Amino acid sequence: MQWVASGFLFVRGHTIYHRLDPRVRLAISLSIFSVSLVSESILLVSVLIALTLGIVSIARIIRRFAKSMVFTAIVSLIAFGLNYFFNPGNPHQAVVFGVRLFAVISSTSLFFLTTTPDELEQVMKWLRLPADFITIFVIAIRFVPVLMMDALQIMDAQRSRGLEFDRGNFIRRLRNTIPILVPLIAVALNRSLDLAEAMDSRAYGATKRPTSLYKLSLGTGDYVVLILNALGLTIGIYLSVFVSIF
Amino acid sequence: MALRNINLEINRSELVTILGANGAGKSTLVRHMNGLLKPTHGKVTIFGEDTRSITAAKLSRQVGIVFQNPNNQLFAQTVMKEIEFGLKNFGFQDSVVKQRVKWAMDTFSLAEYADRSPIDLSGGEKKRLCIALVLAWDPSVLILDEPTVGQDSEQKEKLAAIIRHILTQKKNVIVVTHDVEFVWPLQPRTILMSNSMIVADGPAQQVLGNPEIVETSNVLVPQLVDFSIKRGWINDFPPTPEAAERRIRV
Repeated sequence: MQWVASGFLFVRGHTIYHRLDPRVRLAISLSIFSVSLVSESILLVSVLIALTLGIVSIARIIRRFAKSMVFTAIVSLIAFGLNYFFNPGNPHQAVVFGVRLFAVISSTSLFFLTTTPDELEQVMKWLRLPADFITIFVIAIRFVPVLMMDALQIMDAQRSRGLEFDRGNFIRRLRNTIPILVPLIAVALNRSLDLAEAMDSRAYGATKRPTSLYKLSLGTGDYVVLILNALGLTIGIYLSVFVSIF
Repeated sequence: MALRNINLEINRSELVTILGANGAGKSTLVRHMNGLLKPTHGKVTIFGEDTRSITAAKLSRQVGIVFQNPNNQLFAQTVMKEIEFGLKNFGFQDSVVKQRVKWAMDTFSLAEYADRSPIDLSGGEKKRLCIALVLAWDPSVLILDEPTVGQDSEQKEKLAAIIRHILTQKKNVIVVTHDVEFVWPLQPRTILMSNSMIVADGPAQQVLGNPEIVETSNVLVPQLVDFSIKRGWINDFPPTPEAAERRIRV
């Protein structure tokens, strides 16, 4: 469990992929996401997964990516199983559903694992989203790994009080989550109150349009990658809509 | 964090302190002692039992840990129910549960809060409750993980008194801390950790009385040791300010 949770902790990278403008990284992830969603081809979606894994390798986040995708792999298998169970005459569709889900989530994971909360904030500002919405979103993203680590510590504390999470029937197991959820919610609420006070004391909300220390700017490399990405997206959509491949 | 080259044996009824800077591996080490973490290499045995062959929940009956942050443990509606929780998990009979809850609340001056929500207690009271709820099931070993964090001097004195009281019951107490001033008057066996390794292990006088060893672990020498060295007292450092005062008068 701790192994999986550590995959969601942000680690700042310094690879060629991390050096791309975050908007370019967003464009790449959105392209993989869109083509995976439109395509009905197992081959094409598999190629997109391979492309994602290639980028993951370039960005040197293989272990963290693997950790963050453990549950997705399980859910993808369940999605395949359910589709196959309810529609046994069309195994192709079931496989497409499973790999598509994996491709869509892995492209999203790729973006979030290579983008700092600060960069995410810059991208959202560039998209002209409301300032409060951006703050809420970035804080939520920033605190996901913190809450996961809190949950693990609480689980350790309750196991040390003799609580066995995997013992008993479904109702008992459900009840066993109360000693985790109550402290977790209490800790999260306390932290949110502390954070709100800290933000107030640093004049959050004093101006409608706060300035930024960092500005996003596209370099030559970014433009090259954007053109290649646009080309890839066009080919992907074309193959998905107009060409029938397995 | 992976521990390296750890070879440690703790005897019964021993007071041990594990000292080291943040990230030295102290908390990781004690999490091995009640099976929350299992070794990938080597072996951890508690009262002769390999921790890999028993669950943390079962091992905790013998080895109770009081975690650093009380807020990570408290969830019940009342203080009384909070203490009951562990006892019920370990399968104590109802009559024994009642008896143990009463004992824990009386011993730790929590009886007046019996029906209050644990979340409403002060920091010091929460800490006392966390120790009480572990001692309620009478473990043979009590581990206190950073017990002095966020505690004022009065609370620290109470905590030291509680530790002395527990030691009279022939139990093991293991205190994980970076607060040398808190443990120095207790004169425990001192284990110094740095970079996931044990760098010194011995009586407090020997380990904490050696500034060279202490400073390699990014821990400060106790003020009384520093004071004694400046006065030219090389051995037998006074454990308390009162002992130092007596020596000055002599």
